[in-house]
Order: sequence, then C-alpha cells, then structure tokens
Amino acid sequence: MADTVLFEFLHTEMVAELWAHDPDPGPGVSAGSRGEEAGSTTGQKMSLSVLEGMGFRVGQALGERLPRETLAFREELDVLKFLCKDLWVAVFQKQMDSLRTNHQGTYVLQDNSFPLLLPMASGLQYLEEAPKFLAFTCGLLRGALCTLGIESVVTASVAALPVCKFQVVIPKS
Amino acid sequence: MTVHNLYLFDRNGVCLHYSEWHRKKQAGIPKVEEYKLMYGMLFSIRSFVSKMSPLDMKDGFLAFQTSRYKLHYYETPTGIKVVMNTDLGVGPIRDVLHHIYSALYVELVVKNPLCPLGQTVQSELFRSRLDSYVRSLPFFSARAG
Repeated sequence: MADTVLFEFLHTEMVAELWAHDPDPGPGVSAGSRGEEAGSTTGQKMSLSVLEGMGFRVGQALGERLPRETLAFREELDVLKFLCKDLWVAVFQKQMDSLRTNHQGTYVLQDNSFPLLLPMASGLQYLEEAPKFLAFTCGLLRGALCTLGIESVVTASVAALPVCKFQVVIPKS
Repeated sequence: MTVHNLYLFDRNGVCLHYSEWHRKKQAGIPKVEEYKLMYGMLFSIRSFVSKMSPLDMKDGFLAFQTSRYKLHYYETPTGIKVVMNTDLGVGPIRDVLHHIYSALYVELVVKNPLCPLGQTVQSELFRSRLDSYVRSLPFFSARAG
C-alpha cells in the first residue's frame, strides 16, 4: 500500500502553489491575518475553482476505476454509499462517519476526523484557512458522481477542525 | 521526579518551541537571549564531545547533569534538536525525545500546511498535545519534587 503521506504532502503543495499566485500582498500561505479585499477574493475564488477542477478530474478517473460491480448501483443512495465507503477508504484509508439525506436530492456527508485537516488543529484555530484544503476533495466527490452518471453540486463546510461536512445537491431533472 | 522545561530547535538555531512545567528560577536574561545561549552551548558541547572522545563516537552528546537538574539532548539527522531538563532521578529518555519528534513534531507541524517550517510553532494542537504527553510521562509528577 502506498504511503498516505505522499498524497498529503502533494496536496499541501498544490494548495500552497495555487495560493502563491494570489494577488493578495500577504506572504503566501503562512498563517497570518488576511484582509478580504475585493481584489484578492477573486484571485482566491480562481484558486479554489482550479483546485476543485483538479479534484474533479481525479474523481472522474477514480469513479471509472474503483467500482467492482456496476449492477450494485440500483439507486442514487447506493452511489452515495459507495462514495462514503469505497472511495473514502481508497483515498483516505477510512470510511465517512455519517451520511444523511432528505431523500430529495440533498445529502450531507460528515467526516469527524478528516485526514487532511487532522494535523492542523483540533478546534477553532486555522478555521478561515480550512476551506482551501477542502476544495480538491469537493471536486473529487463531484467527479466520481459524474462518471457514475450523476450531475451534482458539492460544497464543504467546517465548524470546528477536524470535523467537516460535504454537502451534495443533486438537482431533480 | 519531574520535568522542568523543554526546548525545540531547528537546524539554524531558531527556537521552534519552548514549554515549562516546573521552573523555580529564571535565567535572568530575556527569553530570546536564553534560546541563543542554549543553542550556542549545545553546538559547542557537541563538537567538543566528538573531538575529545577517547573512543569512536556512537551517539555523541546525550545528557549532562548538575547537582540539581539533568539536561537531556536528542538530535535528528535533519538537525532538529529536542532538549529536556528534568530532575536527577530520571534515566535515559532518548525514546521519549524521539517520540516528541516523530509523533508530535512531524505529525502536527511538518504535516500541517499552515505551519511554515523554520519559524516558531503557532499550532495550538501541537502545544496542547505536547503538554498532555509530557504530563502523562511516568517521571512527571504534578508536585515539583
């Protein structure tokens, strides 16, 4: 089994590299108060969407490669369960901690100890910086869903590290 | 038996972290000067020990003790130095210092994308985990012995 730190370090560098091109005059990614000026927020949104796009393409590929039996996906909920179990185990070596739905196309996947946030903090420190580290994973989920035939919108939120929630909204056609 | 304080230095002499638990007497100089003094002393002792060793060196400088306290030293190949002052009843704690490096520093600082290497560690998680680890050590007692 490949060492998980390889992906973690690569992911850290991806976020750092994309943030380095930010027009924000602050010193790169180091923790420091970052004013939300109008100029820098558009740069940040660009970086978030680039990260999400990268995650999307990786997710598409994983969605092709991972599922063993296509017949197992009889309905949407099965696909979401596949994401929570097989995809999460393949990428993060653990399962998603909880999956909730309103049965009308909205699913909330909660991870109580998300590996990319785990070494950062256990509480509220670094809370503003946390979304950067979730963008790639949102794309990952969206890409895997796309290959399996489901268009969706995936967002993530963090209330306190390392607990994070991924919200998947599947619009009804 | 107790732990007095702990310093963590990087290869360039930057003090990455300092915690104290039981210290009855301060050095009398500002903290920045104290860190420089500690680092300079360690640097000199290491080279002294290797020069003057009558036998081939294995691990190099490990610890020194005075009549009141003992200073334990652990250095990694990357130049990270862990220095812990304890009282005299404590034996070799190389594995403890190694644990502080591998399970705490590497896991919580090196892997933390928001902790820039080469600067003082700001992570609260690192500070609190280190504190609880030291307090859980068998030779740490809440009463300064």
